[in-house]
Amino acid sequence: MAAEMGAPRFSRWQGALGFMLTELRVQGHETLALATSMIVQTVFIVFVWVLNRGLLPYALLGAVVFSVFQIGERVTNESAYIRIDHRLTDLYLASPLTPEAYFLGMATGVMTAFLPPVFVLVALIEVLHPLTWFAALVFAAVLVALWLFASAMGYIFSTLFLDSRAIWPYSSLFYNAFGVLPPVFYPYAYWKAIIPHSLEPLALLLPPSASAALVTWAEGLPLANLSGGEVAMASVAIVVESLGLFLFAVYWARRASRER
Amino acid sequence: MVEDAISARDVRKVYRTRGQPPVEALSGVSIRVPKGSRISLLGRNGAGKTTFLRIASTLLLPTSGEVRVFGRDVVEDPEGVRPLIAVVPQEGKPFFHLTPREQVYTYLRSRGFVRETAKSRTEEALSLMSLGEVADRLNVTLSGGQRQRAMVATVISTQAPLLFLDEPTIGLDPFARRGVWETLRLLTRRGSTILLTTHYLDEADVLSDRLYIVDRGRVVGEGSSEELKRTSGGTLRVTFQAPFSDGSGLEGTLSTFGPVLKEDAGGSLTLFTGPERIQELMAIAMARKVPATVGPVTLEEAFLRLVGRSIDEEDSGGR
Repeated sequence: MAAEMGAPRFSRWQGALGFMLTELRVQGHETLALATSMIVQTVFIVFVWVLNRGLLPYALLGAVVFSVFQIGERVTNESAYIRIDHRLTDLYLASPLTPEAYFLGMATGVMTAFLPPVFVLVALIEVLHPLTWFAALVFAAVLVALWLFASAMGYIFSTLFLDSRAIWPYSSLFYNAFGVLPPVFYPYAYWKAIIPHSLEPLALLLPPSASAALVTWAEGLPLANLSGGEVAMASVAIVVESLGLFLFAVYWARRASRER
Repeated sequence: MVEDAISARDVRKVYRTRGQPPVEALSGVSIRVPKGSRISLLGRNGAGKTTFLRIASTLLLPTSGEVRVFGRDVVEDPEGVRPLIAVVPQEGKPFFHLTPREQVYTYLRSRGFVRETAKSRTEEALSLMSLGEVADRLNVTLSGGQRQRAMVATVISTQAPLLFLDEPTIGLDPFARRGVWETLRLLTRRGSTILLTTHYLDEADVLSDRLYIVDRGRVVGEGSSEELKRTSGGTLRVTFQAPFSDGSGLEGTLSTFGPVLKEDAGGSLTLFTGPERIQELMAIAMARKVPATVGPVTLEEAFLRLVGRSIDEEDSGGR
């Protein structure tokens, strides 16, 4: 009927690309925001470079992990801004664009816009400590999983608030606390040294630190030596949490598209 | 039988917020929107217009009742309804860091239009909304009226069979408002159906094939603008500029013609009648040497009679 009445045929995920284009253009106009997205990472890298250059590979790999994790914070803020400040969500959801395509388009658009600074970090890694093929594959896999996790978390989180200003401190706290305090910028061995034994696995259960632990282990960095059990735990955690949360976000996007 | 674009029956919506008493925003609203028509929901802020529009556009679940869009149930089959509609949300603002051209084009792309179609429809919508000169300026640099026109352009570019416009001309200057009205007329001539909410009486008057006056979640009046005006008791309004408490018995005399409205501020008496009685009334005015004016009944008077209050008064209860 839709096609008969002039509306184009549509599949469930089709509009995601169109909305990604929208987000990419929106974010692309904010070049300063793209540049400042690297502030925390740059500060840590400079500190490590000054204090202990031997830890630079950990910090650089951690900076990439943190950058991808932080995409979740940007999805939170963007989603809330569109819904609350611009009241545009109704425009998009009362259309053939499905709620899950809207969410995926936003997550993909924000990620694509914020990738160029990440490539600078990757280039630095390739110069200072080139990745093995195995490490590069593990790196790519965990980054995709982490992006799914962070974006899903960000989108769900954004729907819980009525005021976008109220979201900023919470999203900032969440993404910075879980992206900085666990061993993301520093080696997993250091975490073990400062945390009670029973709490050690926590870092392998949290997606950002699990990602950092896996990629530094895959690269064979000396302070990132993981046991087989630890590798399995981190891998299972990141896969299950990312896929689980992503699927929940798809469900949640559909549910939240219709106010009750 | 021709299928209606919208058919709503006994729609109720109760908002429940924890720790607060429930608010009944709609109390059994039934509305019919024939295909190809322009229908307005007219009411004060908080009357329930937006609640109905959001339910009909699949964005809000009703508490009870049924709404069908082109025969499809908005609760059971939202994905069947959504390709057929487009919505200008109330107080919606375009992306500040897009230009109007980008806003319209990317919206069409997200609705699945191929590049060439999206481009041509973008240009047409920008032209219809007279946004050509500012089409490549960022929305953040545009005036409120230009942004609102960008929103309307975004939605009309879809050429969706059913358009929902929630207060589409709010913030526009009179010239721009007339431009939007012309465009909406053009769209219905092309076959689109339009449901708009407004609290501008003149807009509802000139633009609507049929009006629903909504107050406190109920439809209190419906019909064409002329039909609603006639509910005031006549098609003409006669106002006598005289204090109604001067003891002359004018009010008593006039009340034999129909209900008389006392207007405190001006100290005047108003009644509604048909053209056949104007001569008699003017004779009374001349005999008593009282200034009197005759004019057509406006929608405002019909609204006042049906609702009991001016359209500018706000309701605190609804949404």
